[in-house]
Amino acid sequence: MKRSPLILAGLLVLFALVPFLLSGFWVRLVTYIFMFSVLASALNIITGFTGYAAFGNMVFFGLGAYTTAVLMTKARLPFPLALAGAAAVALVVCVLLGLILLRLKGHYFALATLGAAEAMRQVVDNLTGLTGGGQGITLPPLRGKPFLVNTTFYFLMLVLLILILFVAWRLSKNRLGYALKAIRANEEAAGVMGIDTTRYKIVSWCLSALFTGVAGSVYAYWFSYIDPPTVFDVMWVVKMFVIILIGGAGTVFGPVIGAFILETISELVWSRFINLHLGILGTIIILVVLFMPNGLLSLVGQGRGLKDVLRSIRTGENRI
Amino acid sequence: MLLQAIVNGLLYGAVYATIGIGFSLVWGVMNIINLAHGSFIMIGAYLSYTLFSAYQVDPFLSIPLVMAVLFGVAYLIQRYLLNLVVRGSVFITLTFTFGLQILIANACLLVWSADYRSINLPYAGLGLELGGLVIPYVRLEIFAVALVLSGLFYLFMRKTRVGVAINATALNLEGARTVGVDVGQIYALTFGVSAALAGAAGALISPIMSINPFLGGPLVGKAFVIAILGGLGSTIGALVGGLVLGLVETVGTVLLPSSFQELLGFVVLVLVLVFRPQGILGKRFYE
Amino acid sequence: MSAIILSGRGISKTFGALRAVWKVDFEVKQGEILGIIGPNGAGKTTLLSMVNGTLALTRGEIFFKGQRISGLKPFRIAELGISRTFQIVKPFPGMTVLENVSIGALFGKDKIRDARQAREKTRSILSKVNLQGREDEAVENLNISERKRLELARALAMDPELLLLDEVMAGLNPSEIQFVMDLIKQLNREGRTILVIEHVMKAIMGISQRILVLHHGEKIAEGNPAEIRDNPDVISAYLGQRYSRMRGSHA
Repeated sequence: MKRSPLILAGLLVLFALVPFLLSGFWVRLVTYIFMFSVLASALNIITGFTGYAAFGNMVFFGLGAYTTAVLMTKARLPFPLALAGAAAVALVVCVLLGLILLRLKGHYFALATLGAAEAMRQVVDNLTGLTGGGQGITLPPLRGKPFLVNTTFYFLMLVLLILILFVAWRLSKNRLGYALKAIRANEEAAGVMGIDTTRYKIVSWCLSALFTGVAGSVYAYWFSYIDPPTVFDVMWVVKMFVIILIGGAGTVFGPVIGAFILETISELVWSRFINLHLGILGTIIILVVLFMPNGLLSLVGQGRGLKDVLRSIRTGENRI
Repeated sequence: MLLQAIVNGLLYGAVYATIGIGFSLVWGVMNIINLAHGSFIMIGAYLSYTLFSAYQVDPFLSIPLVMAVLFGVAYLIQRYLLNLVVRGSVFITLTFTFGLQILIANACLLVWSADYRSINLPYAGLGLELGGLVIPYVRLEIFAVALVLSGLFYLFMRKTRVGVAINATALNLEGARTVGVDVGQIYALTFGVSAALAGAAGALISPIMSINPFLGGPLVGKAFVIAILGGLGSTIGALVGGLVLGLVETVGTVLLPSSFQELLGFVVLVLVLVFRPQGILGKRFYE
Repeated sequence: MSAIILSGRGISKTFGALRAVWKVDFEVKQGEILGIIGPNGAGKTTLLSMVNGTLALTRGEIFFKGQRISGLKPFRIAELGISRTFQIVKPFPGMTVLENVSIGALFGKDKIRDARQAREKTRSILSKVNLQGREDEAVENLNISERKRLELARALAMDPELLLLDEVMAGLNPSEIQFVMDLIKQLNREGRTILVIEHVMKAIMGISQRILVLHHGEKIAEGNPAEIRDNPDVISAYLGQRYSRMRGSHA
């Protein structure tokens, strides 16, 4: 998808101005959306580009969050070092998991990664000496006026987002990206053509894990409190999947667009229909999968009307 | 202590088998991992609960009705909704069934609230005592009914026209189409049967478990493990898988601190997936 | 005197009790075109798949330029300079013609690093197979003849010293077959060694310098086209023993 650099620059300027124009509530909301954009983009690398549905990708988020929390509370390290530690842990675990799990395909891979996330959650829950178990960990907060604090985290997430968008953009054009796309298209043929699929799959997942782990690290510092059910929440991954679906899998900006759309709807619904939240999310998921499995843009791009959309469901590629 | 755990494990394992059979069926026939399977179980449990608290119907007697309701609902869902995405990638179908699951969970939440519900049967405390072992009648009934259901399912798949057609569709989609099988209909029937079994499982566990709308998730996890252990495409495999899981859980609690059960489960799962993906009894024909 | 570029000793592949390939010995001289023929189910594709690493050997060894390649992963073998086409073509769905072929340039023997450079090399290959101008089309839009040529282009983009072609002419009309025949001969003149599996007899007899015949997984004959044509075992394998005896009484 070609976007004029001018539009991008304009958007960047706009986003840079947000903390100075809007109230703390909105700044935090947009920061949250940035975070989901990062998470969805990271998932997009291993799932959208490479074709491996990592249903348990939250394992890296949780690991990043907990590594940061433990390093800052127990080892009294400053945040930058704790962040580096979180990144390192995420990478190491990813390589180990990848060597074992990336040989599985399809559903097996998806659910094995979910099993990994669940197992990790339980381990963290039970290492009460280190992690506080179910009580969670409270991190030393960033001190300062609310405006400064909000703005700091806002830009931290924004920078992270820009970085991963850059990575995704490079992937859409460079040699690594080609390898991943080939693996997704036909892994056997990719191997025959000289692609070391094992290595590239691990690289792909590590990129994803790195950004997911770092996002977890920032999240921990930002919210100042984490516990196992939150940072290993499988619901987040499903939201990431839906975001990718809405925005279009394997695209560069899709996850960002999807995140903005989903989180906006989520915000609107949450404030008004708390006890219908799940049901509405579920309905959205179903509708998105039915109507736009290839992304919102594939729906809108060709100027199609409702009739076309309905017809495409009946003749869709995913149906019987 | 250990012996009691083994007995408990086997008794409970039969319910797991019922859960696993339906889940494995849908996976094997349509290549869909139905994350909503757990919520079907919960609907079954809730229906049983309602019939009990409103009309004093014994949960075991409610099973036929529960199965019928779930069959109907699931048939419609598959026929008019799931069939539209059934050929999608893992990504698509998993996400879709997840959406379905939380939708159903929310519906249960609205109807029955988040309060834990339970059924207290008048004969709950009674049981057999053999040596040092205690075998509550309720659990024995559960075990027996679960076995009967598994047996009926086995016969259904082998001896009825529908069952054979389902098998044929699973083994060779194109071939089945060529001989005139209406695949959409078969899928709907399959999903219906799977949900009916799930509902029955729900009714079976309603007397011994506190019900809330969010128990579906962990149950699907167990169903997945059972399906893998037993191997897809095999009723007996699911039965064995269910019993094994039941045993591993109860015996595991005795031998290990309960803290690391999930980790153990995960390790076992990965070992099976990597070294023997066809499970204990399954055949490799579902890829 | 040409060097031996590829050799196999005692190659066997069994699937349970089924002997797909059984104790085959063969040698391929550098720069030659070796045809492999045999009735359906003879084990030709299985043999090819063992050379490029897609299938593991049950027994035996394969050497390429003196190096043992049996047991290596397919991508390693591809890097050494061996590429193949598949009988049932496997284009990468969701990608354009150019992207498909570029993969070969990027990850084949030459391992071109720069994506743009790879794309340029790809364009020249596309014109060789007469697919120039179709670079940006989705592969799903190609017909069978075009897909076969795409498959060939992908294998070529890897700049192979040894090219394995598996029924690349199946489904093509006579003029397309002639085009591919001429292309194969041209590739051979460039110095590439080529192994060709084919059922189109006229084609394979016309381009091969030597021919290997497989039947029920075993090698039953080897020689130049003329020798093979008159070989009674070969005739018997294809047409049955009675015909062979009939022909024998003619000769």
